[in-house]
Amino acid sequence: MTTTALPISAHPAVEGGLQLEVTSVSVQTESIVSIILANPSGGTLPSYVPGSHLVVQYGDGVNAYSLTGSGNAPSEYAISVLRVEDGAGGSMAMHQLAVGDRVYVSRPRSAFAPVSTATHHLLVAAGIGITPVLSHARAAADRGTTSSLIYVYRPGAGAHVDEARELLGPALTECSNRTGFQEVLTEQLASQNLGTHLYVCGPGAFMDGVLGQARELGWPEARLHSEAFGAAELDEGEPFSVNLVRSGIKLEVPAGVSLLETLENAGKTIPNMCRKGICGECSLSVLRGAPQHRDLYLTDEEKAENTTMMCCVSRSEDPELELDL
Amino acid sequence: MRSVSMPSAAGSGLEPGFRGVICASFGVTGDTAGHDTGDRPRHDLRFVSANPEALADLRSVLGCSHVGVRLVLAGPPADIRAAAAAAAECGLLEEEMTLLCDEAGPRVVYCPHCRARTTVGAAGTEAECSGCATTLFIADHFSRRMGAYLGYSAHVEEAS
Repeated sequence: MTTTALPISAHPAVEGGLQLEVTSVSVQTESIVSIILANPSGGTLPSYVPGSHLVVQYGDGVNAYSLTGSGNAPSEYAISVLRVEDGAGGSMAMHQLAVGDRVYVSRPRSAFAPVSTATHHLLVAAGIGITPVLSHARAAADRGTTSSLIYVYRPGAGAHVDEARELLGPALTECSNRTGFQEVLTEQLASQNLGTHLYVCGPGAFMDGVLGQARELGWPEARLHSEAFGAAELDEGEPFSVNLVRSGIKLEVPAGVSLLETLENAGKTIPNMCRKGICGECSLSVLRGAPQHRDLYLTDEEKAENTTMMCCVSRSEDPELELDL
Repeated sequence: MRSVSMPSAAGSGLEPGFRGVICASFGVTGDTAGHDTGDRPRHDLRFVSANPEALADLRSVLGCSHVGVRLVLAGPPADIRAAAAAAAECGLLEEEMTLLCDEAGPRVVYCPHCRARTTVGAAGTEAECSGCATTLFIADHFSRRMGAYLGYSAHVEEAS
């Protein structure tokens, strides 16, 4: 048992939650493991709405992971975790869990629920985005509603592929490249009966693309449902450089390392709190260049002004940004 | 998709997978002709009233349409509300419907005592139930699912 797996006290985010035991750890892909959690004293766990997530404590931190089951009277909770080498440490801690370890978790939280009046669920997932969508597919099968899934993953890097195939049969379309995916997506968005709702989970840019295309094809907002990963699972992004005008120094931000971390490594103290693009604490003034906004704090209008950025998650559209630092 | 200006039978004249604008007019006052659908393909329907045949036609047209389609309904409240309820059952959402209501036209009141629905004129606050002859007070409460106002036995709370 590792110290990260059994924290001394529960983090506020998991207070009032559950202490569960790891009953199985299985490798999905090179970088994704599935972890099964159960009540150490046996018995069923609280049911949850499909698409829900669990907040799991690791050491002093917490991370949210989608539950992959249908949610109906579960005897165990299953999550799948993508290892993010340069993340805050949550995914690395999850990957170190072993059978018998105990973890503090929140009760399941629903933020990506299926629409009860839908007669068909069109699910679109990229990469680790498969996790909540798999929950939807399972719940739909349980409840006798139909669902279909477009699943985009790199060859050899797809989690839960066998389960998706078994669950959905011909209703599963697997894509490994962008062109193929675009064709399938356009075809499916243009051929859905009126009871269909769309559910998307994947990297932000991927979801934006899918939702944008749906809107262009006449899908109203009420039919569109998406689950942001939060910063925990943001993609690595492209490398870029920052020019700190007042300090007179230039720094390189590599792929997979945040601007905030880069600045901290260079000895800068940047006020910050959530490091997930939610709290707005690490706001920086941008003098030149267009940030690639990946936070959930700034409004669309503020983002369009390109004068402020959240350095914990946001990166750059341009090769270089000039910052008022 | 070409424009269809003539009255159309169920689904005919509509290619499967229609994602344009369906414009349905009811009665003599319903007129969607002035409704501008822009560049979007348009399919016109005209019905005398929202009778079972008309609603079956509408369901059939919606049944072969795909997400992206919009519906414009014009006519008296009794008819377009019944049509909107049928469309919702087909999976169409409120934001996908535009109702051009002739407020002077008849509306429907639902009797919770016998569950009959009675079509009544636009004016007045009371009506006689077509099912149980109870004098109904027509409340403001409106059911989109039934396309009807709630009625209840008028004057029951008055001391006799």
